[in-house]
Amino acid sequence: MVEAGQMALLISVVVAGYAAVASFLGATRRVPELVASGRYGLYTVPVLLFVATAALVYAFVGNDFTVRYVAENSSLAMPKAYTWVALYAGNAGSLLFLAIVFSTLAVAAVLSMRHRLPYTAPYATGIMALVLTFFLAVMLTLANPLERLAVSPLDGQGINPLLVHFGMFIHPPLQMAGLISVAVPFSIAMGALLAGRGGRDEWVGLGRTWGMISWLIMTTGLLLGSWWAYTILGWGGYWAWDPVENSALMPWLAMTAFVHSIMVQKRRGMFRMWNMVLIIVAFTLAQLGMFINRGGPVPSVHSFAQSTMGWLFLFFMAFTLLGSLAAFIWRSGTLKSRESLDSMLSREAVFLMQNVLFLAVAFVTLWGTVFPIFSEVVEGSTLTVGRPFFDRVNGPLLLLLILLMGVGPLLPWRRAKARTVIRSLRFPVSAGVAVGIGLVAAGIRQPVAVVAFSTCATVVVGILHEWLRGTSSRHRKGESYPLAFGRLLAGNRPRYGGYVVHLGIIMLAVGAIASSFYSVQRDFALNPGDRASLGDYSFQYLGTQTSTYADRDETVAEFQVFKGDSYLGVMRPFRAFYPGFRISAARGAIRSTPIEDFYIVPSDLDREGPAVFRVLINPLVWWMWASGPIIALGVLLALSPQRQPAPSTLRVPSRLRPAGA
Amino acid sequence: MKLRCGTLARSAFAIVLSGLLLAVGCTTQYGVPPLERRAYELDKAIMCPVCPGESIDQSQNPLAVQMRAIVLEQLQEGRTESEIKDFFVERYGTSVLLEPPASGFNLVVWVLPPLAVGAAALALFLTLRLMRRPRTDQADIAGEPAQLSTEERDDYFRRIEAVLDFDAPPGAPAPTRDQ
Repeated sequence: MVEAGQMALLISVVVAGYAAVASFLGATRRVPELVASGRYGLYTVPVLLFVATAALVYAFVGNDFTVRYVAENSSLAMPKAYTWVALYAGNAGSLLFLAIVFSTLAVAAVLSMRHRLPYTAPYATGIMALVLTFFLAVMLTLANPLERLAVSPLDGQGINPLLVHFGMFIHPPLQMAGLISVAVPFSIAMGALLAGRGGRDEWVGLGRTWGMISWLIMTTGLLLGSWWAYTILGWGGYWAWDPVENSALMPWLAMTAFVHSIMVQKRRGMFRMWNMVLIIVAFTLAQLGMFINRGGPVPSVHSFAQSTMGWLFLFFMAFTLLGSLAAFIWRSGTLKSRESLDSMLSREAVFLMQNVLFLAVAFVTLWGTVFPIFSEVVEGSTLTVGRPFFDRVNGPLLLLLILLMGVGPLLPWRRAKARTVIRSLRFPVSAGVAVGIGLVAAGIRQPVAVVAFSTCATVVVGILHEWLRGTSSRHRKGESYPLAFGRLLAGNRPRYGGYVVHLGIIMLAVGAIASSFYSVQRDFALNPGDRASLGDYSFQYLGTQTSTYADRDETVAEFQVFKGDSYLGVMRPFRAFYPGFRISAARGAIRSTPIEDFYIVPSDLDREGPAVFRVLINPLVWWMWASGPIIALGVLLALSPQRQPAPSTLRVPSRLRPAGA
Repeated sequence: MKLRCGTLARSAFAIVLSGLLLAVGCTTQYGVPPLERRAYELDKAIMCPVCPGESIDQSQNPLAVQMRAIVLEQLQEGRTESEIKDFFVERYGTSVLLEPPASGFNLVVWVLPPLAVGAAALALFLTLRLMRRPRTDQADIAGEPAQLSTEERDDYFRRIEAVLDFDAPPGAPAPTRDQ
């Protein structure tokens, strides 16, 4: 079985390489047969990789420790369910995972565009096959997941215990899939560019679809990652501006800019060059993310799979960046905008401002992440750029973005009259101010928090106000309210899907703002039987129980928790020590409600004397995790196919038809 | 019209109210002694030397636990935040601070982002102005209609706005779809 997998891997790299060459040659020489053969080549890659993956799973399930990767990432004691996690827990396996995910996405992308974009598809196929070839070649030469060991050990080393958590079943694969999925819209855009079709906006529909799919995967990956950090890393927080977190955030930022800006091209035929630049930036940042994650130069808590192969990724990143820039310059003549900007006061202009802000946040994040390297070269001493820096520099930029999120959708395309703008902003802004005053009255005195909450309120009211206006306008025509609302949403799905996503983002923002300004923490040293209180909560520490498992020793602390007079139940935070890894992990106990989370982390249970616990009250964090499904729903609504696309421009002024026809 | 205003007012009230309800979650500081609160703030700015990237507030490493205790102790002795930071810098080097000091070469890390954002804003403004300048080569793009006169254009936009305007009087043509 393992040998069959080896064989399949070897064939897959050859086939992928062939698909790249055949697609490019067929496209430039205009040989349809060659193009078709390249395409079929690409179709076979996921099948071959599936065979290889099946072989690896087979080796895992059969505890075949003659395979190096299996020996390094599993053990006899490991529950078989974690085979899925072990598949991507190590360097070699994660490459295989990336390759199979990307090849599947690539096949789906080629199927979606081969009829719609006949000129672009061969080039895009070639680019995707090239990326795939790179991954497969690196895997085969440097980190073959099916490599045999000369001497087979009796038991494997086991899986990293920090990965043994439900979140790990979904977060890392989604994160990896998200980073690599950026290559799909990138390939479509570059394919259109190379084919000389960048100036026709035919690629935009699919570019947007795949861009949003990629955005959704990245968003889910980031949210699940934060949730994992919050529930398992046991420090009461969820985001620390760590290099690996940053490296996953940067492509997300660029992609967010792209999925907005592409709408301008779709509707108005503008920003053609800019969209190319954005997608090149996004793919470059995604590759940088894979590089930093894979033995990059910046120390991080998350670095898994340390290795020198990271530098190959950097090299490949430079190659794709230079190649795409060269293509961009070569073909820039084909990218003239169809329309010119009518007014600074228009949705187009706000989109561009938003894009620049997103890139600014990405730049600051990149700058803070790589600055320690410069500093080491120039100063000779290492330096840390951590959370306070990012909070201080990115915070205002992010706040500005939320503000734009409130203003932008209310502005019309082309141009707005100042009067109209004031009329549509009047209500949301006054509601935001009212919320601000109410918050101050209620005792929220942090100026930044008040401004941030008010901004969020403005956005929410703006969106709801628009929904209400649209619904009641339909209602006046005789539709019942639910039907009117449903038809309103279904009538312009990209727009209303976008609104739903915006609402989700506001939930996320509110949770982030509240928990960064109003989280309360305190350390307690307690002996069994002691009582203590924080805020409205009081709790009694009952003592610990230690139990030994095959792979770990677990010390569980028990608390009885009360809020006011009502008994909330028993909470059991614990610390586990994994002798095989010499890792000790704390897992907090969380009681989560929409208003606030009550969170107990054991800091120190083993020392002589009282045990030390950290207790936190984190307000509104629940909303951050609840935003995930809302965002996904919004993206699906925005992507769901609509029979007749909204007309992008109206240009029949001399023969004006009756309005509304 | 009357009904609509009523709905608006009610929904506005509901939204403001729910905003305030959310605020319930984050009001007071729950009586954590000020000194301890200062210590936690300071913890967040100091890196744990053996767990790269993590603050001593975040890390559960024994060294971090020890350093937290030192921070609290020194605050109790009346030292200021900057004195305590200096104390750790002396022992572990500048890299122990999560926020790089704004001096010497490290000033660059602080200065560049605002400069870059400023430059980007300027570039954005210039680009927008450039894009707004009416194009002369529009006529030769196939299928592009001739330039409109101002009256034609205004009339055109007025009619579109009439269709899109939700507040339009009932006599106005009903919109079939918004935007």
